[in-house]
Amino acid sequence: MDDRAVLRSVDLDLVPGITVLRGPNGAGKTTALRALAGLVPLARGTREVPFDVLYIGHRPQLLHGLTPRESLRFFLEFRGPTSRAWATPVKTTAREMREDRIRVACDRWGLAGESDRPIERLSAGQRRRAALARLDLETCALTLLDEPFADLDESGSALLWSWLREARALGVAVLVASHGHADLDAVAVRAYALHEGRVAA
Amino acid sequence: MVSGLRRIGLIAGRELRADARHPDGAVAAMTFMAALVLLESLIVGPQVARDTLVAPALYWIALLFAAIVVTTRSFDRELEDDALDGVLAMPGGADALYGGKLVSLAATLGLVAVVGGVVEMALLDLAVALPGHLALAVVIGTAALPAVVVLDVALTVRLRARAVLVPILALPVLLPQLVAATNAVAAALAGDAVASLAWSGLLVAIALVYATLGLTIAGTAIE
Repeated sequence: MDDRAVLRSVDLDLVPGITVLRGPNGAGKTTALRALAGLVPLARGTREVPFDVLYIGHRPQLLHGLTPRESLRFFLEFRGPTSRAWATPVKTTAREMREDRIRVACDRWGLAGESDRPIERLSAGQRRRAALARLDLETCALTLLDEPFADLDESGSALLWSWLREARALGVAVLVASHGHADLDAVAVRAYALHEGRVAA
Repeated sequence: MVSGLRRIGLIAGRELRADARHPDGAVAAMTFMAALVLLESLIVGPQVARDTLVAPALYWIALLFAAIVVTTRSFDRELEDDALDGVLAMPGGADALYGGKLVSLAATLGLVAVVGGVVEMALLDLAVALPGHLALAVVIGTAALPAVVVLDVALTVRLRARAVLVPILALPVLLPQLVAATNAVAAALAGDAVASLAWSGLLVAIALVYATLGLTIAGTAIE
């Protein structure tokens, strides 16, 4: 980035369960997650990740002009059947099943009344909830979350904590990047500290 | 496993749905094209502008810049809230993005082309000897434009100098296409059916080459 090495020595071994990547602003957490998601090319080193990776970044990644329901439908159809059936063995290819799953996900994340409003008319917190609703729909071998608690109110945070506990119980591999939330250590199986592009376990 | 064609269709559908709610890109392109056609006509004078070779040239140049406007707006929308990353982070996202944008932007440009064409024909009081051949040339020429423009905008989407770079990258590559499209329309205006079809055929060949190249390299280039 600008001919400056952002990540210098990063060796992450992700296991089933919650892994936390901590670090102050500018440490390289977002770059590390984007590199794992395949959005940033590596000048050196290797990246070995499963084919199906769910990356939810610092911003919601939702297209303005679409509603949360349409966005979730798009992601679900684009990804197709995912690698892990989670919570309920549902066929994602059946239209009614798909719409039902989307409705359930919107309800769970508190978007029942907002799921048909264009994204740009939602608040930052509502957009974050819409982005996180993907967690219930796209169950992948690896999930990357960059500052997932950003913009969430107390109830939204509670929903995310609930999801994290479920993920830990089911052994879903999740990497959470966060500069705060010391409580994450309570659910994490492993934690890394990133400082100026270098990791210490 | 979701097929590549299905993913392209999903991207195109997503794009067109967003366009329907926010047609600012299409409206800007139509306005820009109409204004450019008017300006060009005033600069060269109506007598020159009505020439069967000059009128199509003015039209295609205006449509090319309108294509850059609408494509740039399409990608600007992807950068809001990092929607582009949401697609690129999914398997097959980069490949499907190019194809999907091609399809959706060709549809949007079709609308722009019709409006621009109506404006020019009304403004210059153009007589059309072969309307069917004219329509064919316009359809093919319009559908062929996004292949290069989308690739250039995608390659430069995160660069500050994008507004300068895209025309510089696109214009030289599109020159053969603009020549073929201009001559196809000119022949249709003049009543030369054989020449119009020949130039339209060349346009199809050029468009297929560019689209195939774009589909082949876009995924890797965007990543």
